[in-house]
Amino acid sequence: MTIFLQSLLSGVLIGGAYALIGVGLTIIFGVMRIINFAHGDLVMLGMYASYFLFTLGNVDPFVSIVFVFPLLFLFGAILQKTVINKVLNALPQNQILLTIGIGLILSNTMMLLFTSDYRIISTSYSSGSFRLGEISVSTPLLLSFVITAAVTAILYWFLLKTDTGQAIRATAQDRDAAQLMGVNVKRMSVLATGIGAGLAAVAGSLISPTYYIFPQVGQPFTLKAFVIVVLGGMGSVMGATVGGVLIGATESLAGAYISSGLKDLVVYVLFLLILLFKPAGLFGKSRV
Amino acid sequence: MTTVPTEPILEIKSVSKHFGGLAANSDVSFTMDEGMILGLIGPNGAGKTTLFNCITGYYPPTKGEILFKGGRLNGMTPDQVCKLGMVRTWQKVRPLAKLTVLDNVVVGALVRTGSVKEAREIAREQLHVVKMAHKADFLAGGLPIGERKKLEVARVLATKPDLLLLDEVMGGLNPAESEDIIQLILDIKKRGLTQMVIEHDMKAIMRISDRIVVLNSGEKLAEGAPQEVVSNPEVVTAYLGEAHV
Amino acid sequence: MPPTPRNRGLAVLPIVLGIAGVVALAILPKFVESPYALQMMVLFFLAVIQGEAWNLIGGYGGQYSVGHAAYFGIGAYTVIVLLQSRGIAPWWGLFPALLLAVLVAAIVGSITFRLRGPYFVLASIAVAEIFRLAALNWKQLTNGAEGILLSGIPPLVIAGVQITDFSSKVPFYYMGLALAVVTVLVTIWFQGSKLGYYLQAIREDQDAANSLGIPLTFYKNVALMISAFFTAFAGALYGLYVGFIDPQTAVGLDISVQIVLTAIIGGIGTILGPVIGAALLVALSEALRSNALTDLLVGIGIVNPASTIGQFLRDNLSHAHMLIYGVLVALTILYMPDGVLGGIKNQIRKRRARAAAGGAA
Ligand SMILES: Nc1ncnc2c1ncn2[C@@H]1O[C@H](COP(=O)(O)OP(=O)(O)OP(=O)(O)O)[C@@H](O)[C@H]1O
Ligand SMILES: [Mg+2]
Repeated sequence: MTIFLQSLLSGVLIGGAYALIGVGLTIIFGVMRIINFAHGDLVMLGMYASYFLFTLGNVDPFVSIVFVFPLLFLFGAILQKTVINKVLNALPQNQILLTIGIGLILSNTMMLLFTSDYRIISTSYSSGSFRLGEISVSTPLLLSFVITAAVTAILYWFLLKTDTGQAIRATAQDRDAAQLMGVNVKRMSVLATGIGAGLAAVAGSLISPTYYIFPQVGQPFTLKAFVIVVLGGMGSVMGATVGGVLIGATESLAGAYISSGLKDLVVYVLFLLILLFKPAGLFGKSRV
Repeated sequence: MTTVPTEPILEIKSVSKHFGGLAANSDVSFTMDEGMILGLIGPNGAGKTTLFNCITGYYPPTKGEILFKGGRLNGMTPDQVCKLGMVRTWQKVRPLAKLTVLDNVVVGALVRTGSVKEAREIAREQLHVVKMAHKADFLAGGLPIGERKKLEVARVLATKPDLLLLDEVMGGLNPAESEDIIQLILDIKKRGLTQMVIEHDMKAIMRISDRIVVLNSGEKLAEGAPQEVVSNPEVVTAYLGEAHV
Repeated sequence: MPPTPRNRGLAVLPIVLGIAGVVALAILPKFVESPYALQMMVLFFLAVIQGEAWNLIGGYGGQYSVGHAAYFGIGAYTVIVLLQSRGIAPWWGLFPALLLAVLVAAIVGSITFRLRGPYFVLASIAVAEIFRLAALNWKQLTNGAEGILLSGIPPLVIAGVQITDFSSKVPFYYMGLALAVVTVLVTIWFQGSKLGYYLQAIREDQDAANSLGIPLTFYKNVALMISAFFTAFAGALYGLYVGFIDPQTAVGLDISVQIVLTAIIGGIGTILGPVIGAALLVALSEALRSNALTDLLVGIGIVNPASTIGQFLRDNLSHAHMLIYGVLVALTILYMPDGVLGGIKNQIRKRRARAAAGGAA
């Protein structure tokens, strides 16, 4: 029972970061109907940004998100305007290949610039933990989960309460209808990519104290993000939030009860099963 | 073939199709005899295309039964239905854009033969039938709408069907092109094929149909000879009224 | 009516050129002994096989599998594991390897071909990742992340005569050449066959294809099984040639991406597209690896070798081939979505159609 609770808790805590990654992917998909295969590489960029802010500027990784979000927002927005925008009407296969290409460019550029050495951020609390009865709670994971929850709350407020947020949701619901209603869908696409990139990077920053940082670290996150988004229903922010936590917990439990090497395998098998039997995801068709 | 001539080629028995709460078809029944042209009319959204989709295996009907040449079609896939000899065209045409016009028709012909050479011969014949032989080597994606519609017809003819379902093959055509298609449909009838034709152009449908079925909000509103149907007051208010205002 | 060469079997000229090319390649090792040149050619042949194999399902069928590494890995691992730990000679090991790949393709196809567009792509990646993780974790069989180093290939003896002891690159050269030629021939057959027509119809419009009597999953599956067969064959050859496999280099996502790239750069759905793509990619990787590209940039005076940039390029460009692949994918999709050959083919088709219309009018 302790093992169960322990893995469930760690899974849920890491699931918070997964949720941010998934939400970023789902917003981009919702607005542009493009699956971003470079998404994990944006997480990687966030990790590196926090790493350098920490080592060069002594900025705590959890604080660094206030720099990392705008930085990667800008990066995502520019990427949308200069490249992704050109394939909005292309075949889905071609859109996917393009973003795979972008991912390769990002990870390999980082490798050229900073080698493929593994880096770590060792903060005072990196390996800290406290006990809650039988269960030990990792301090950095708990902190990151709390911040994730705050970021998610802000995001929901933005999407539900602000005009821009509502315009993004309208575009995700029905691009043509939104355009007819006077929504500047081009701008929404830029914004959505910016927000998606920013959220992925923030997730990267938040997990950076507990992960190795290297150029190829992003790839598994890309795949995990798909699983989360498909699980929650493509385009559903709510679904991605819940999906992230579910996948975090599943992975952690699979790691504890099957084998830590096979936890990803379990997740992919689950993914195939969802694709086959519940392709609309657990939360049906509702978008954003 | 052991089809008894008196047996209808197609029987639609109380077919219903629901999308969530929307009844796109409810309790539609009618039959078709071999060699006839049946006109299927009704206002936009009446459920005509949905009925085609149910008949040809794209949607499983929510309720009801479809018999083709005496056999049940329920649960069959579109390719199986095609092999049995029933094939449909698409209201929103679906050319195989990056294939040539000829190759589009070859694809249709291949359902009856394993030989590509033979399929090409069939395809060339069918292109002649729709008067598009000169366009054989053009890419289908580059054709104007009138020729795309003709290509749809040539392609389904190449599958050597017994029953053709034509979904608005005159939609969006100019009068001369429409006249071509009308002649084509009448020629096909002369060859003994059975056809069900969805069309909004009342003049055309009156000319070609042996019988007309009217759908409205998913239900069969009327059925009968063309003259009977157009003088049916219910049809006039529900359909003709709306279409002519 | 003007004859349409593409449709009346192959014209004479391409056949003559093709045979001449193959003969030239067949006698090449008699004149070229440089192991470096032979190495390049073997890599080229392997890329051709993989590109042509993917082309059948991806290019003609439009089913963009980004998971072909699964079949490549099955080929490589089965042959190598059987040889290394059971002592089964590779020419026997090939049978179970290819059979397994075809079987897995049939199962994977039956499951994933119900999905369309991006969902299919995602599923294909997930399948390949499952195989990579299996290779990584099934340590007794695969030795996990450390991979398997082959200690040698037994000499091939037929009827008491030793054909080769695999000590040079020449036998691999001929195996690669033979298989590359076979895949091209299979593609030629495929393009003119009912199967090829049906796959192209499926690529263009699945619903229309289905309504014209094409059982979609069946034909996709047949094409995938042929594709998996040759991809696994290439994987087996690769493993034997390099003498070392690990999960990343035999089943990694990079392999899948390279395979797709080979086909799309040259032009998907064309017979020679993957050949052109393979030539371009192999030449490019080699130019990077050997620093020829830096030398060229320095040679034409764009870059000063003593400058920091010159030094940086010299130090790093040789590791950059995945970066360049990324750039190539992006550029191809943005500016040349039909690939090199696809673009040319479109031009020719347009001209011919115009001429035919002019003649008939
Ligand atoms: N796949 C579907 N899912 C949900 N609703 C559908 C679907 N297909 C059709 N409908 C709905 O069913 C009703 C009937 O549509 P259908 O296309 O059959 O009409 P139609 O008679 O062919 O009209 P038109 O003359 O405009 O072609 C419409 O309200 C349509 O919106
Ligand atoms: Mg309709």
